[in-house]
Amino acid sequence: MMSQTVPVVETRGLVKRYGDQLAVAGVDLVVGPGEIYGLVGPNGAGKTTMMKILATLLSQTAGDAYVTGIPVDADPIEVRRRIGYMPDFYGVYDDLRVWEYLDFFARCYGVAANRRPPMIRELLEIVGLTDKRDAYVEALSRGMRQRLCLAHTLVHDPALLILDEPASGLDPRARVEMREILRELRAMGKTILVSSHILPELGEMCTGVAIIDHGRVLRSGSIGEIERSLRATALLRIDLLGDEVSVAAARTWLGTDSRIADVLEGTTHGDGAVRIEASFDGTPDAQADLLRAMVAAGHRVVGFSQATSDLEEIFLKVTAQPTEEVPV
Amino acid sequence: MTATGATMGGTRRSAAREFGSSVVTIMVKELRSRMRGRRAFIVLTVYLAILALITYGVYVVIEPNARNIAGGFGGFGGQANASALIGQSIFTLLSIFQLILICFIAPAFTSGQISLEREKQTLDLLISTPMRPGAIVIGKLAAALAFVVLMIVAAIPITAIVLMYGGASVDDIVRQQLVLLATALMLGAIGLFFSALLKRTQAATVLTYITVLGLTLGTAMLFIFWTVVISQDENGFGVQPVERAPEQLMYVNPMVGMLDVVANTEPGGFGGINQMLAQLRGDAPDLGGGVECVGDVCRPIDQFGNPVDAVIETGSGYWWPRVAISSVIVAAILTLAATRLVVPAGMRWAFRRRRRPARPVAAGFAASDPALEGAPVIQKLREGPEAER
Repeated sequence: MMSQTVPVVETRGLVKRYGDQLAVAGVDLVVGPGEIYGLVGPNGAGKTTMMKILATLLSQTAGDAYVTGIPVDADPIEVRRRIGYMPDFYGVYDDLRVWEYLDFFARCYGVAANRRPPMIRELLEIVGLTDKRDAYVEALSRGMRQRLCLAHTLVHDPALLILDEPASGLDPRARVEMREILRELRAMGKTILVSSHILPELGEMCTGVAIIDHGRVLRSGSIGEIERSLRATALLRIDLLGDEVSVAAARTWLGTDSRIADVLEGTTHGDGAVRIEASFDGTPDAQADLLRAMVAAGHRVVGFSQATSDLEEIFLKVTAQPTEEVPV
Repeated sequence: MTATGATMGGTRRSAAREFGSSVVTIMVKELRSRMRGRRAFIVLTVYLAILALITYGVYVVIEPNARNIAGGFGGFGGQANASALIGQSIFTLLSIFQLILICFIAPAFTSGQISLEREKQTLDLLISTPMRPGAIVIGKLAAALAFVVLMIVAAIPITAIVLMYGGASVDDIVRQQLVLLATALMLGAIGLFFSALLKRTQAATVLTYITVLGLTLGTAMLFIFWTVVISQDENGFGVQPVERAPEQLMYVNPMVGMLDVVANTEPGGFGGINQMLAQLRGDAPDLGGGVECVGDVCRPIDQFGNPVDAVIETGSGYWWPRVAISSVIVAAILTLAATRLVVPAGMRWAFRRRRRPARPVAAGFAASDPALEGAPVIQKLREGPEAER
């Protein structure tokens, strides 16, 4: 918020061990004020464990975790006043009305009585549940419950929101709504730590992302940075005309270029062209030069493109690297 | 420390007030959902209807014979004694039935309180608030007991009918109420403890009722068995003087507490209860004997009707206060245990340990902290969207 010096979330070598299973294996994370920071990883990657540690519901095995500079394991009560936590799985008190539900949590956080009614009104407006004020929580749809739970994290005006898979189980429309709300909250100056197992979902709104698997941060930074670091080696798709001999010649020719790491086996297309794929380490400029040189060398190129790697692919690429056994 | 840290950790009084307001918060929420709709109303009505029916039933059964019984025994003052006998009968059966009903109801209200939150996955939301675990547990216990207390107190007018007949006094009703309340507290705490200990409500409920059964029937049976065993010699003959099992066993038995209350109503207690209790206490020398009472002073007699040396005092019950106090102590211990169990397993020690030095906090954070009360939420929320537009 005002200060830029103390990160809202900071972890140093955070480790959590369940028996002999390592859920979080030494994570260093820094989230500055006003950021929306995404934790992305497959199920079982350690996201929820990390969030629970920050929400003071678990204690770490080793390492340090701070929320606005306060160690979470030493002063949990003080940390709780500064965070709003939304677990991945949670229930609601379905025998309460919507306003009673928020009123209850506001009381839990010690919000003064005269501030509660106007605050509840504002919160309901933000999450778009104003017309459900007197409805029983039981009668809300899943998306509405999710938004109600999000509203409950805001009753005490915390500096940090920890949202564990806030969009899981929602239909596309509700996802978009949830995203809009998060944007709005960010505009209010909240720092948000949000997790998802779907990178594209977070990509557009996060200022920073950490891709996590097996309790480790594999990549971190802004989406752009991660993308760039992965795209440094672009996958080129080159379609060639000609018989086996000329294709083999083209592959050898490509193999002599130092910027090309490996050339994959050609596959025959329907229209007679053979597609070969090559990882290429270079800028788009260099790609253009490569194409010109290739044509000049007499290879009959009919297609030359870079495989578009969307966020989904980035995610798969990154998480596929260390080991294959990804628990689902 | 930060600004918030200073205000909250400051005085002990503000911490106590915060604790109190957390308890009230939980109570209000629990009562809101518990008292809503018809359920609470129906439970209370059925409860009172059962008690009223018992009262009427006892009257119908006792009334025609009361004069005979009373007249035949005392020989004089038949009218007054008959009335007292009716009153005493009603009081005795009403008290015992009420206790039995409370034994069923009090644990039912608490044995799901924590485990249901676990099952419905609402507990994490609750314990991630800054409320002390103790406040959560006490609030839940208080909310459950509030309704049980309402039931107990609502039955006073029915019990008060005995004042019309005589045989039991206001003192007796007060004692009865104290035993009922202490019992409700203990059984409620037992339910809450198992609810906090076990993941499943079903398991918690079963274990709670087994424990209640153990406290009421189990302790009595154990006591008798123990006494019988230790007062035999190796050939199976009774030894004199009779040795008894430690009577502390009975202090957690709400039944004994209530029997003690009803046994000590004027005059001389009701039916065989007094004698039974005298046996338990060990001040009746022989099973075959009876008790001959003159006023408050009772003299045990042996089977041949001859007075026995020991003179026992039955004017004031002396077991029910022990039972009531033990119940409160047990309740306190279990509530404390439940508090420890509510805290997530890995965090239990964190609440005991004192603060570790925080990382240097920039002044900016302290200033912009959401203060405990009156976080500038509204203002900020208003500013937010506008600033965006």
